[in-house]
Amino acid sequence: MVMDDAQSNSPAAVAARPVKLKLTGVSKTYSNGAQAMAALGPVNLEIREGEFVVFFGPSGCGKSTLLNIIAGFEKVTRGQVSLDGRSVEGPHRDRLLMFQEHGLFPWLNVIQNVMYGLKRRFRFRPRARRAHARRFLEMVHLGDFEEARVHELSGGMRQRAALARALAPDPKVLLVDEPFGALDALTRAKLYGDLQEIQQRTSKTIILVTHDPREAACLGDRVLVFSGRPGQIKADITISLARPRDINDPVVAECGAGIMAQLEA
Amino acid sequence: MRVRVPQGRIKYYVLGFYLLILAAWQALFWAQLMPDFLFPSPLQVARRLWELTVDDYLWPSLEATFERMGIGFSIAASIGLAMGLVMGMSRVVNACLRSLFLGLQTLPTAAWVPVSLLVFGLSDHGIYFVIIMSSAPAVALTASDGIQHIPLIYLRVARTLGTPACAMPARVILPASLPSIVTGLKLGWTLAWHGGVSAELIKSTIGLGFLLQMGRELNDAAQVIGVMVLTVLFGLLLDRFVFGLAQKRILARWGLAPGPSG
Repeated sequence: MVMDDAQSNSPAAVAARPVKLKLTGVSKTYSNGAQAMAALGPVNLEIREGEFVVFFGPSGCGKSTLLNIIAGFEKVTRGQVSLDGRSVEGPHRDRLLMFQEHGLFPWLNVIQNVMYGLKRRFRFRPRARRAHARRFLEMVHLGDFEEARVHELSGGMRQRAALARALAPDPKVLLVDEPFGALDALTRAKLYGDLQEIQQRTSKTIILVTHDPREAACLGDRVLVFSGRPGQIKADITISLARPRDINDPVVAECGAGIMAQLEA
Repeated sequence: MRVRVPQGRIKYYVLGFYLLILAAWQALFWAQLMPDFLFPSPLQVARRLWELTVDDYLWPSLEATFERMGIGFSIAASIGLAMGLVMGMSRVVNACLRSLFLGLQTLPTAAWVPVSLLVFGLSDHGIYFVIIMSSAPAVALTASDGIQHIPLIYLRVARTLGTPACAMPARVILPASLPSIVTGLKLGWTLAWHGGVSAELIKSTIGLGFLLQMGRELNDAAQVIGVMVLTVLFGLLLDRFVFGLAQKRILARWGLAPGPSG
């Protein structure tokens, strides 16, 4: 069944789906006067539609750089990034990046923030735009906070609003850069659940960057372990634990330890 | 030691302070340090203002001054904002104009009057010119400061959400620097008020500045002081109730300061 295929992320089901994002020989070198420093790559990678991929590695391993390259904020030194078979360049809401900071606009209220990315799209009339935004606010459990100002939300609510804003324009790939780092453990555990649920519901292709092995084990269908400079993919681990996964589940913790071991191997 | 006074009661202290000033003024008048015609009492000043109102001098003058300020400051604010925007977005333009505007700001607003007389003669255009030269640089400088300090995250978020470069000023850059822009407009208003009244002193046949000048020519200290008080009062009223309230509202919406919710 098609439905089953869309919802189960078993390796076989994933392998049957088309490639969404393809990276070919992507590398990044920073040159500082006479010195050139290789920061990343070369990276070859295929991500299929609906996959939840985690980039895991220590700070400064280039995983965030790679995410920024996919988002179009940084240029590659060599190599190519293609989405649906077409080479991409520059930021675009096809490859929406969600940042560590929520970056919600304080001059707009919550629903206006979510509607921001819908301008000039879908031939939306204002009312349709609002209804569309409302669906995503409800998805992140902020249905009652449409008219709230950004500063009136708690830290976790702000990240959820930012998630709704990133999902509303229906990006082909959602890129997420350590969005939960600044939150307390309880809020974080809840957001892990929400994110998994949303990913399963929308079958969105997601790439998330983290340096927490347990977070990687909890969220990823596939965890790519990055080695230090220059950042390269050291291991490609498929995680087939049942969803939804709980960050505090010992099985997830054990899986996280396994991922950590891969990094140190 | 800091004395703690409940917030709600501070206004009574302020009121008391002004009554005290009036009382001191009256006491000085009674002490007869200077002759009456040089140092009028508060009552004499009030009476003179009343006479000006009855003789139909005051309202037309206020109207004329506010019309000039309205036109002049609108032009000044538009020019200032446009220049501030360009300065905020271009390092080169900023480097060139910043030093020029800082220099111009050291000029007392009244120093623009002679030049405006030479160029524009006695027309109202000269008053607009003085208002613009007095306030536009301040508006431009604060706006460009605000734009340069926009957190990078807003610009990155806007780009990833697909904002085209041509829409950035209207959708992100101006709204994100709104708190600084309002601060600049508030400051610009004060400077425009200085410039406008200074220009009226010399160039006009009606307006607050004209009434001041007329009082001097008639040797009427009560009128001079009365019009000065009015000038302060109206300048302050606009500063507090137009720009001050706008500023409070914006800061409250952004969660930067307590204030009326909106």
